[in-house]
Amino acid sequence: MAGSTKKKDFQKTKHRVGKAKPKPTNATNTSFKAKSITVKQQALSTTAPNSSSQFAHYLALVTHKGDSQRRDAVAFLTTAVTSTPPNQPLPQPVSVIIEKSQQLILDGTRSVREQLLKLYQSLPPTEIDVRSSESLLLYIRAAMTHLSSEIRNSSLDFLGWLLQVDGTGAVSSQGGWVKTLQCFVSLLGWREHTATGAWTGPKLSFGNAGSDVKAMAKQLQALAAFIRAGLHPHNRDSDGIQNADSWFPLRNTESHLISGRSNAFSYLSLHGATRNEDTEMYEDREDRQRIFHALFQNAITKGVQQAQREAGEMGRASVQVKKAVSDGMADFVDE
Amino acid sequence: MVKRKVGALEKIDADLSSLQYKARKDPSSYREDFYSQYQQYESIRGIFLRAPSSTDDSGIVKIRDLIDFISHVADCYPRETATFPDDLIQLLSQHHDQLQYELRDKVVSSLVLLRNKDVIDSSTLLNTLFPILVSTPSKTLRALLFQKILSDLRNSNQKSTNHRLNKTVQSVLQNIITSDRTSPQGIWAVKITRELWKRQVWTDAKAVEIMKEAALSENEKVITGGVSFFLGSDKEREEADESSDDDGVNVGKLRQKLNVNKKNKKNEKDLKRATMIMKKKEKRKGQPDILNFSALHLLHDPQGFAETLFQKHLQNKYSKLKLDQKLLVLQLVSRLVGLHKLTVIQLYSYFIKYLSPRQESVTSFLASLAQATHSLVPPDVLEPLVQKIANEFVSEAAATEVASAGLNAIREICARQPLAMSDTLLQDLVMYRKSKDKGVMMAAKGLLSLYREVGADMLKKRDRGKEATVKIISGERKEKRFGEVEGGGIEGLELLEAWKEEERQKRLEANGGVDDKEGDSEEEGWKDWDAESDTSESSEGWIDVHSDGEDIQVSDSDDEKPPAKKMKTIMATQEAIKENGVSTELSAKEKAQNLATTRILTPADLVKLQELRMQSGVSSLMRQKKIQQKREEKHADDPLTAADLEGLATLSAKRTKEEKIAMAKADREEKHLSKSARHKEKKISEGKSTTNKEKARAKNFFMTLGKAKGKQKRSLTDVRRTLKGHVDRQKRGGKRGNAGR
Repeated sequence: MAGSTKKKDFQKTKHRVGKAKPKPTNATNTSFKAKSITVKQQALSTTAPNSSSQFAHYLALVTHKGDSQRRDAVAFLTTAVTSTPPNQPLPQPVSVIIEKSQQLILDGTRSVREQLLKLYQSLPPTEIDVRSSESLLLYIRAAMTHLSSEIRNSSLDFLGWLLQVDGTGAVSSQGGWVKTLQCFVSLLGWREHTATGAWTGPKLSFGNAGSDVKAMAKQLQALAAFIRAGLHPHNRDSDGIQNADSWFPLRNTESHLISGRSNAFSYLSLHGATRNEDTEMYEDREDRQRIFHALFQNAITKGVQQAQREAGEMGRASVQVKKAVSDGMADFVDE
Repeated sequence: MVKRKVGALEKIDADLSSLQYKARKDPSSYREDFYSQYQQYESIRGIFLRAPSSTDDSGIVKIRDLIDFISHVADCYPRETATFPDDLIQLLSQHHDQLQYELRDKVVSSLVLLRNKDVIDSSTLLNTLFPILVSTPSKTLRALLFQKILSDLRNSNQKSTNHRLNKTVQSVLQNIITSDRTSPQGIWAVKITRELWKRQVWTDAKAVEIMKEAALSENEKVITGGVSFFLGSDKEREEADESSDDDGVNVGKLRQKLNVNKKNKKNEKDLKRATMIMKKKEKRKGQPDILNFSALHLLHDPQGFAETLFQKHLQNKYSKLKLDQKLLVLQLVSRLVGLHKLTVIQLYSYFIKYLSPRQESVTSFLASLAQATHSLVPPDVLEPLVQKIANEFVSEAAATEVASAGLNAIREICARQPLAMSDTLLQDLVMYRKSKDKGVMMAAKGLLSLYREVGADMLKKRDRGKEATVKIISGERKEKRFGEVEGGGIEGLELLEAWKEEERQKRLEANGGVDDKEGDSEEEGWKDWDAESDTSESSEGWIDVHSDGEDIQVSDSDDEKPPAKKMKTIMATQEAIKENGVSTELSAKEKAQNLATTRILTPADLVKLQELRMQSGVSSLMRQKKIQQKREEKHADDPLTAADLEGLATLSAKRTKEEKIAMAKADREEKHLSKSARHKEKKISEGKSTTNKEKARAKNFFMTLGKAKGKQKRSLTDVRRTLKGHVDRQKRGGKRGNAGR
C-alpha cells in the first residue's frame, strides 16, 4: 500500500485495556504544590500605566498589522496631543511622532489616513522642523503617485497641511520643489510630449476610476497652494531692516551667522548621495523661479488653459493656479 | 511578520502586473501611467535609501515589485528610464551587504533582465556583478551571481563567439588572479573559466592562460583549482558534450500523449518545439565536429610553465601544500613533461626520496615518474631510479602487491625509455615470472614481452622467444640509440607499387610495347573522384590541382623531360635491377618511398591501396605492431594513473566467498517482480498515490459491508423505481432507445 512508505500525518495511538492512558505531548505538569505564593512586586498606584508610557505604547502600535488597531492607536495619539496643555511638552517629541507615523500616509485604509491627518493637524505647528518636513514630503510624493486613487487624493490633504505649517521648509528641502512639481504634472496629466506628435493621449486611464472633476479641482487647488508657497515673495527683508539698528556698527550680520536651523549645512550634502537637477535644494525664491520657468511653466500654462475651458469648479481652481503663477513669476527676468 | 491582508479594492487598484501587461502591449498609450509609476518608484526609492536595511513590507506597494515592473517595461520607455539601470547598479554595489535578501535577488535578476532586453550591455552587467561576487559574504548571493554571470556569458556567445566580451572578461579574471596572488578570491575566476571551458564557450588559449596563472598562484585552493583544470577539464568537457547529446526530448512519447490526452494548445506547442529541437540536432549531427584542442596543447611555453610549477610548489621548501595537493601538481608537471617531451632534469632526482613502499600513496608517485619519462630523457638519470624501485619493491621479502606494483612501474618507465634498464637487472626481474603469485607473475611477463620487442638482446637467450631470435639472427633488429627517431611511411605502399608495375606490364603486352595510357589513367583516377565528390563544383579547380601535381614531378626529377618519359626511365632502371637479381627488401621499400614522394596518390590509388592491404593481410601481420602503437598512443595523450599500476595487484589478493558471489551476480536483478508490482513500486517511490481500484481493494472490510447490505434491503420505493425504469427501458428498446430509427 502506498501509505506504508509515506509518513502518516495523524498517527492514532492505541489504547489498551489495563494500561495507563498515554499523556498528550502538550500536557502541562500540574503535580507540583506550593505552600505559599510570593508576589515579588506590586503596583501600588491605582491608575495603572502612566500617560507617557501609554503614549509610547500606542506610538509603537502605529505600525500594527491590523488596520483598526492602527486607527485606534492614531486616534489615541490625537487625543493625547490635544489634551496636553499648550505650554507643556508632549510626551514624545514631534519629530519622533512624525517619523513613526509618516508611513501611514501610504496606508491602504481610509480611516487610518483620515485619523492621521487629524493627528498632524493637532500637532503644534512651530515644532515641525526641516528634517521632518523633508521626510514627510518624500512620503507625500510617494502617495501622490500611488496606484490607488484614494491614497492619491488624501495625499493632497497632507500636502495642504504641510504647506500651512512649514511651506518654505517644504519647498526649499532637498528635491522638494522640482520633484513635487513633477508629481503634480504627472498627476494632472500635463506632461509635455516632445517625442510623440500632435496626438493627445487619454489622460491617466489606468487605475484612476475616480478621476472626476472634483478630484481634478482638488489637485488644482493643491497645486495653486504649492506654487504660492514656492514663488510668493516674502517680506523677510523688512525684518532685516528693523533689526539692523541693534547691531549698529555691523552690517548684514545675520547673514554671516551660523544658521539656527537644524542641519544647517544640509545643502552641501556631505553624507548623502550625489544630487542632480531634480534632487537639488532650491532655497532661494529666484532659484525656484528659474527652474520653474525652465521646466514647468510651459506645461502648466498649457494645462491651465485647457482646464479653464471646463467651467465650474475646475475652471475656478484653474484660475487660482494661473493667478499663483502670474503672481509668483511677475518679477522674474529671463536672462 | 504575517503578511497584511489586501482588501478587495486595493487589489483592483494596486495591480502592477496588469499595468505591465497593458504597457507592454501598447506602450504609447500607457506612457502617462508608466511615468506616474516611475515617479512612485523614485519617491519610494528616496524613502528606502534613508534606511537601506529596512524591510519594505509595511506599505501596499513594495519597492521590489516596482523594480520588477519597471525593469520589465524599461525597453518600451527608454527615455523615462535612462537612469534606472544606473540606480540599480548603485543600489546593489553600495548596499548589497545590508539589503534584504529578497530585494537583493530581485535587483540582480532585474539587471539580468535589462541585459536580456539589451537595455544595458554585457560588460556593464559583468563589471557590476564581478566585484560583488568576489567580495560579498553571502553564500546564496554568490551562488546566484555565479549562475547569472555564467548564463549571461553563455547567452552572449550562443549565436556567434563574442570575442570582444570574452576578451574583456578574460582579462578581468586574469587580473583577479594576478593582482593578489595570495588571496582566495581567484577561486571564482577559476570556477568561471572551468565552467565555460566545460561548456565549450571558451576554447581558446587565453582561457588556458588564466588557468596557468591560477596554477602558479600562492593560495592552495586556487592552485588546486588551476592544476585540476589541466588534469581533468578535457575529460569533463567530453563527458558534458556526450551527456548533452543524450538528454533529448522524446518526440514519440509526446505524440502519443497528444493522441491520448485532451488536446490543448500547450501540448501541441510542446510537440512542435520538440520536433524543432530534434531537427536541429539532426542537422548538427551532419556537420563536422568542431576541433577543440586540449588545454595542455593550447599552453603557451609549456617548458617554462613546468619548470616554474616544479620550482614553486615542489622543490620549494616553504611551499605550504599538503601531500595530496603536491601530488596533483606533480601529476601535472609529469604530464606536461611526458606530453611535450620537456627536459626538467631536477624532477627525476626529486622522485628518489619518495620511492619506498612505506611512502603514502606511492603508486601515484610511481605513475607520475612513469608519466614524466619519455624517449629524450637521458638513461643515466633514470637508471638509479629504476634500480631503486627494483631494490625497494621487487624482492622475495616484499608483499606481492608491492612487488607487482614495482614491476608494473618499471615496465611503464621502460616502455617509454627502454635504455633505462641494465641487462643484469632485467634478467633478474624477468625471473619473477616464475612467481607463484598471479599478480607478480603477470607483471614480470609484461616486462619480458616488452623487452622482446624493444631490446631482445638484453634478455637471456632462452627468454628471447622465437620471433625476436629470428630477427636478431637475420640482423633485421637493430638496437635503438638514444634520441633516434624513426621516419614514417605509408603502410603497404610497396604493394601498390608492385600492382602498378603489373598493370603496366599487362598494358605493355597488350599494346605491343607502347605505353601511352599512363597519363590518362591517372587523369581518370582524379576524374572519378571529381564525379563522386561534388558534381556542382566547376572542374577547373581540379584541373589546376592536377597540373600542380605534374609540376611537382618535374621539379623533383630535376630535368625538363615530360612526365610520361620520366616514368619510362624509372621503369627502365627498375627492370635493370630485376635483371640483375638484386631486388632486396630494402630497395623495394625505397622504391615505395619514391612513389610517395614523386606523385600525388589519386583517390583511386588510395582505394586500391586499401584493397591490396586487405588482400595481403598486411593488417593481420601488423596486429602486434598495432597493439604496440595503441599503447604508445595511449601513453602520449592519456594520463597514467595509480590505478593502472595497481591493476594487476588485485589479481594477487585472494577473494572471500562473498566477494566471489557478488562478482558472479554482478548486475543481475535482485529479486523478480511482476510488471505491475514494479509499476506500483515505482509509483510509490515517486510519492504518487494509488488508483481508486487499488484503494477499494485495500479498504477495510467492515466499511464495505454497509454497501453490500444496502443492495438487498432496498426500500419499496427504490425497488419500484428500478422496476419502473426497467419496464421503461424495455419499451424503448434498450438504454439508447430505437424510437427514432
